[in-house]
Amino acid sequence: MLRHRITILALILSMFSVALAPLAAAHQDDGDPVVVRVGLHAAEKNLNPFIVPQALPITHDFTMLVYDTLFWSQSRLDPEPWLATGADPSDDFRTWTVTLRDGVLWHDGERFDASDVAFTFRYFAEDGGPGRYGHHVYDHPVFESATVVDDLTVELVFEDPVPTFKLLPGGDLPILPEHIWASVENPRADATSLPVGTGPFTMVEYNPGVSYRLEANPDYFLGRPTVDTLIMPVVTDAQAAFAGLQTGELDFVTRNLPAPLVPRVEENPELAVVTGSRMQSLYLMFNTRKPHLRDPAVRKAMSLSLDVQAIVDIVEGGLGRPGNDTWTHPDSPWAHQHGGHVFDPGVAATMLNDAGYLFGDGDVRRNADGDPLAFTLLVNAAAPPQIRAGELVAEQLSVMGIDITVEPLDPPAITAARRPSPDGPPTVDMFIAVFESHAHADPDHLFFFFHTPGRGVGGIFSGYANPEFDAVLDSALGAPIDEKLSLIAQAQEIFAEAAPAVVLYYPDGRWGYRPGAYDGWISDPGHGVFTKRSFLEPDAAGSTVPEAVEDAAAEQAPEADDPEPDTAEAPAEQPEAEPASSEASEEASDEADGESAAEPSATDDSEPAASTPDQAASAGAPEAADEGGSSTGALIAIAAGVFVALVIAPAAARRRRRAGTVED
Amino acid sequence: MTGALSGRFEGMLSSRGLRLVAQYAAVVLAALVVNFALPRLAPGDPIDYLVPPEQGSVDEAMRQSMLERFDLDGSASQQFTSYLANLAQGDLGISVRDGRPVSEVVAQRLWWSVLLVGTAVAVSTILGVALGFTAGWRRGSRRDVSLLAAVLALDALPAFFVGLLLLLVFSVHLEWLPVYGAVSPEALTGWAWIVDTAKRLVMPAVTLTFVGLGSVFVVARSAMVSELSEDYVFMARAKGLSDRRVRRHAARNAMVPVSTVALLGFSTLVGAATVVESVFSYPGLGSLAFDAVRARDYPVLQAVFLLLSLIAIAANLSADLLYPILDPRVRRAGSR
Repeated sequence: MLRHRITILALILSMFSVALAPLAAAHQDDGDPVVVRVGLHAAEKNLNPFIVPQALPITHDFTMLVYDTLFWSQSRLDPEPWLATGADPSDDFRTWTVTLRDGVLWHDGERFDASDVAFTFRYFAEDGGPGRYGHHVYDHPVFESATVVDDLTVELVFEDPVPTFKLLPGGDLPILPEHIWASVENPRADATSLPVGTGPFTMVEYNPGVSYRLEANPDYFLGRPTVDTLIMPVVTDAQAAFAGLQTGELDFVTRNLPAPLVPRVEENPELAVVTGSRMQSLYLMFNTRKPHLRDPAVRKAMSLSLDVQAIVDIVEGGLGRPGNDTWTHPDSPWAHQHGGHVFDPGVAATMLNDAGYLFGDGDVRRNADGDPLAFTLLVNAAAPPQIRAGELVAEQLSVMGIDITVEPLDPPAITAARRPSPDGPPTVDMFIAVFESHAHADPDHLFFFFHTPGRGVGGIFSGYANPEFDAVLDSALGAPIDEKLSLIAQAQEIFAEAAPAVVLYYPDGRWGYRPGAYDGWISDPGHGVFTKRSFLEPDAAGSTVPEAVEDAAAEQAPEADDPEPDTAEAPAEQPEAEPASSEASEEASDEADGESAAEPSATDDSEPAASTPDQAASAGAPEAADEGGSSTGALIAIAAGVFVALVIAPAAARRRRRAGTVED
Repeated sequence: MTGALSGRFEGMLSSRGLRLVAQYAAVVLAALVVNFALPRLAPGDPIDYLVPPEQGSVDEAMRQSMLERFDLDGSASQQFTSYLANLAQGDLGISVRDGRPVSEVVAQRLWWSVLLVGTAVAVSTILGVALGFTAGWRRGSRRDVSLLAAVLALDALPAFFVGLLLLLVFSVHLEWLPVYGAVSPEALTGWAWIVDTAKRLVMPAVTLTFVGLGSVFVVARSAMVSELSEDYVFMARAKGLSDRRVRRHAARNAMVPVSTVALLGFSTLVGAATVVESVFSYPGLGSLAFDAVRARDYPVLQAVFLLLSLIAIAANLSADLLYPILDPRVRRAGSR
């Protein structure tokens, strides 16, 4: 009797919670702000563009949430006007007259005009010092002068012809407010104050190394962003970040979803995977200043010995494309039409024999002097894919008689080994690292990284020196785009033969997210999905939406038919979602050998209720206290119901049974 | 009674006090040197962080002017003298990563570390002593063996593994506890803030407790075992004292080695916190040190290491001072 009474009580309680739950969910409807919690995988400082640490993968796109460029984006041959409305070159491509958008405001309310643009170029070139952005203004192209023609027109003059100005620096350099930076003496000094830009978001809070908070810029010139608040905690541990995604504490994780986790995220009805191209590459770089590695035949033989398809299959579970011998990412507009990799150990063996590296009595090839082909390969100890790739490289090359020792180190130690000392070349033999889109999209990336040391960063990056290659790159610098394309292709062919570096694979960009919180993720090639376009209306930039911008949302499983970001309905659409707790309670109730029909149905009823407020909480606004109150109420009611059903009722039943036995 | 005791205590201080002070001063000085040298011995330097090779070359003049801001220009000995001079004035320098005064950076993280490590030390000591005494009281019993096996197994698990396991169970499956951070990134206030902050403390603190539990347990257990074989216990039993009374006597004496281990555990846990803090993105000194190592942020590393050494030294000193209070035999030996 008592048992039944308690079960009924539990039923009533859970029905009460069912009634409350929609109430909590209903709160979402009244135009509540869209809040997206993004788990950053590394701290990004305060987006001061003069101190971009270690070229962290998402820094540029994060920076561009707060700042804007003249054009967007550098990853396309014909970028669309952004802060600029257009730019016209002189006949020699040295002078560019840029016209600017009217009515743009800085986050602090000041008006943006031509003097800000002129100031930005001057400041980066003259005061900025070396850095991620600056070298595109003082290195190549070399900035000469800027003249303000009128409020919305500025004339920029460079020392060399820059036919690709709209891409670089036009599509890359963040435009800074003169009224803030003009008085800053050391632009590298400040890493904590809040940035002021023109971008779609205003940074309102920065807790160094811990979290960021960005609010939508209501006056954004391309319309108010589709997300009102971005809360971005730094979650450095990968497992913790993806756990946070599963629990709903995070709605998006900037870290690439590791291959083994993809099926788990796809199975979860509350999560989805979005893919997009960040134009990343994982490459093997040779120090061409070292003995043996100086010889192109040795490098090419190593390249021919590498089965890059096997490497991408093993390391990334096939979620990536094998590397091309032509280096440049296949999605980049500068990629060679016929990339591809030649894997031919037979030819490689012949090349090594011809170069005089023969098997003696051991397993390692040696030259006539008895020097073995033995090298140390440095990989980032904090990046498992690099370690795995390194081990596969070592394995594949050992068959060929080349001895590779893989040494995982922390990144600064690798950097130190890569940097030439005042007395000589860097000590590193070879290393594996990852390149981001910017490096592949840059029209002059081959020039920067592989031109003979002297100009550009090539000297400290690769040290590769080849006069024939240099000549092609030099003439490509000032060539009009059509001509430049064919010259770059020519350079890539030389590159493929000389193999100063080998791309092992191009990883796919894929990220896990919660569609219930925000479903507007769009893949912008070269930027992935964590980029400003994901937060703007699709036609925000006017009539010039490039075809290349795909709607990535079409790729998701359950929400595929609903491309509109709709936070209010998402939770209601998936009442079947079973949170772990209700599964557990079902099992528990089975164990409690509840034979009466009432008990399981009690837990069944509480199920959708339990899932709905849960999702609502993850989808909705954190600030609305009243809503928090009602959903908490519902949760408490559910908890009470479950508690009664699971703990008290079985206990009472047991007591009754025991009492019964005594009576018997 | 109390007068006699404090008199004896003072006597001990006068005879041993000076030597003690000199000893500790030497240790602090050695710590300063090591803390200064260690970060610099690792390959790489702050310039590798400030201007990665992909971003441009840095010539010697530029390099020196960049380092000047952090007082890292000049030779090692010059740097060391200026470090000591600044330290004497309470100036810890400027962080390479943050561009902020190191004191500010450290102050922001210190209290989270104190909260986390303090909780873990307290819980692991209390739990370790309770379990250790229980196990040692009936050595070889089933309870002893199972406790020993359980605690040692727990102790053998690496902290990051325990952390991830907790994360999987209590966050992902049960959804009881938040996954990251010390405070919610959302603006909570009042009671909600306290509850949220406490929830975020649970998993890192439990993980860290497991790190510290093993050594306290083992020492407490063996101390109890060895006390129980002492004559006074035999005597007490012969007098017919109750188990409870016997246990109390033995426990008091067994606390002597335990107190040392517990205090030294403080410094162990501060170190272990680095791993735990990075698993749970807890903004304490450990994760600060981890980030600082990756940026070769010498000023921050020096400050964090200095703080950790001072904590370790203070823990040692307290153990030294506590010993005679807990153990009259040491007191007598000291005043001799």
